[in-house]
Amino acid sequence: MTPTHFTISSAFLLGMMGLAFHRTHLLSALLCLEAMMLALFIALSLWSLQLDATGCSTAPMLMLAFSACEASAGLALLVATARTHGTGHMQALNLLQC
Amino acid sequence: MHPTTLMYTSSLLLMFAVLLYPLLVTFTSLPLNNDWASSHAKTAVKSAFLISLAPLSLFLSTGMEAVTSSWTWMVTTTLDITLSFKFDHYSIIFIPIALYVTWSILEFATWYMHSDPLMNRFFKYLLTFLVAMLILVSANNLFQLFIGWEGVGIMSFLLIGWWHGRADANTAALQAVLYNRVGDIGLILGMAWLATNVNSWDIQQMFILSKDLDMTLPLLGLILAATGKSAQFGLHPWLPAAMEGPTPVSALLHSSTMVVAGIFLLIRMSPLMENNQTALTLCLCLGALTTMFTATCALTQNDIKKIVAFSTSSQLGLMMVTIGLNQPQLAFLHICTHAFFKAMLFLCSGSVIHSLNDEQDIRKMGGLHHLAPFTSSCLTVGSLALTGTPFLAGFFSKDAIIEALNTSHVNAWALTLTLIATSFTAIYSLRVIFFVTMDTPRFLPLSPINENNPAVINPLKRLAWGSIFGGLLVMLNINLFKTPVLTMPAELKLAALAVSILGLLTALELATLTSKQFKVTPLRTPHHFSTSLGFVPAIIHRQIPQLSLLLGQKIASQMVDQTWLEKTGPKAIANATTPLASATSNMQQGLIKTYLTLFLMTLVLVTLISAT
Repeated sequence: MTPTHFTISSAFLLGMMGLAFHRTHLLSALLCLEAMMLALFIALSLWSLQLDATGCSTAPMLMLAFSACEASAGLALLVATARTHGTGHMQALNLLQC
Repeated sequence: MHPTTLMYTSSLLLMFAVLLYPLLVTFTSLPLNNDWASSHAKTAVKSAFLISLAPLSLFLSTGMEAVTSSWTWMVTTTLDITLSFKFDHYSIIFIPIALYVTWSILEFATWYMHSDPLMNRFFKYLLTFLVAMLILVSANNLFQLFIGWEGVGIMSFLLIGWWHGRADANTAALQAVLYNRVGDIGLILGMAWLATNVNSWDIQQMFILSKDLDMTLPLLGLILAATGKSAQFGLHPWLPAAMEGPTPVSALLHSSTMVVAGIFLLIRMSPLMENNQTALTLCLCLGALTTMFTATCALTQNDIKKIVAFSTSSQLGLMMVTIGLNQPQLAFLHICTHAFFKAMLFLCSGSVIHSLNDEQDIRKMGGLHHLAPFTSSCLTVGSLALTGTPFLAGFFSKDAIIEALNTSHVNAWALTLTLIATSFTAIYSLRVIFFVTMDTPRFLPLSPINENNPAVINPLKRLAWGSIFGGLLVMLNINLFKTPVLTMPAELKLAALAVSILGLLTALELATLTSKQFKVTPLRTPHHFSTSLGFVPAIIHRQIPQLSLLLGQKIASQMVDQTWLEKTGPKAIANATTPLASATSNMQQGLIKTYLTLFLMTLVLVTLISAT
């Protein structure tokens, strides 16, 4: 694969692994989610540049808009967690489980 | 112009000028002297009465009628309205009678309203009312009549609510306006139909052009107008409530002049009604129902003014019956004679009320024929005239009406009701006389009983002469348009007298029972029906608004707020989704790390397998 392709894929994969293997803070998972979004943004932007396809020039902007919605939803959940469980630690979420 | 017409027109013009002159003081800022009411207002009406005797005597000697059309008001393509006055048999006879009665009432009012700081304004209102009534009576086109009609309506409102600090007076004035407005709808309907179909509002043109038309719709409108203005059944509650106004107002407006305006309209338009059997039958049955119902209500009232008010309403029903018999002239005769004795009855009530320190309950009066002999005599004369005692004023009109009723091809139910109402008239009249003048006094000893003031005596005297001789004078000097039936069996001829005497004997018997116990437990239901006025005010003034408000509350709070917004609208979504969300979250165990790790490993595996 091309170096560009490899870079973007590995950035995405690293972000996903960070999301899956986080340890303590919910905020770090959200940050990795943002990193995934960033990788996708760069991929979409380079797509239309590399392939000279002007038709998909708006795709990155749409992507950005939806990721903003998702980031705000995630932050709302973080705030709700902090309110109900007192901390932002991941282990607090299933502390009372058997 | 023919000299007679000139005389008629200039007399009317002079009458208007004389009556409007005292009202001009409103526009000057000069302070009025103490007896302005007596020296200017009453004198103006007296002068107007004397002026009106000139056309009357000319009419009696020549029999000539006239119509004067002067200034053109409006000219449209299809409708012309001019200022026009009709001097016919009806207006020439009615105007002097109305002015005579008004003169007496104004003189009485100088005594009755003596302690009122706004007495001058009261007299101005009465003069304005009188001018509006004269416009109504002398109008030759419906537009001018409508001006007079609305004028008397608004003055009635202002005068009923004279003591506007009293809540009951305000509601009574409002009732008068609302019920009259419902009647006005009928008048406007009639006017609109006539304007579009016979092209005119002039009486002469209407009569000529409507010979072949079906006049049911405009006649129904005119009958509705009469129902509102003359308090026929259905639109009647305002008349007893109008007794909240001062006694001179009750005497002038709500007995002699304003309430007969509706009947007068039907009398003027009677050539339109002659051939329409529907309208005649409607008038007959409506009038019979009114006269019976209001006479029933009058039997158990305890306020002296309310009894006389219901008596007025009953006589108005009798006038409507006469119109339904196709005898407009007899109805007009009854209007004229009724004005005399009814105004006198009201003035006697006013004298009694003031003498007993504003006591209006007949159960707290008594023995006044020793203490106020003149007033009691006038009360008795007035009541005898009302019941149709032979050869007093009421006899000539009332007996003629009952004879016409008995000898016509008429609805038997209407006939029965009218005869029963005639006997009830005797009963409640005797009740008034018994409770007010006879027996022993039931009021406090220190009552300011004083009838020595000439301002009280002279009006009562004048109206008493009118109640005794008025019917005879009018009957002797007019020509009857329709030939009355003069031969009938003796029973029919004496029917009116017989039922009145029957009522009188019944009432005398009942009067002796006031101090005995006839039954252990009396039958209360008919008494309740009569005392609560047939439940009509209770239903229309209370029950129907309560139902409307209840319906409004149900729609606003229960239907809109509770049902549409909470149960089936936005809140329904919230109420339905919350159980689903909590069920789903109960199913999840919260092991996020495990879930995400598994997700990642599955993703990597799928990528590797699909890559090979």
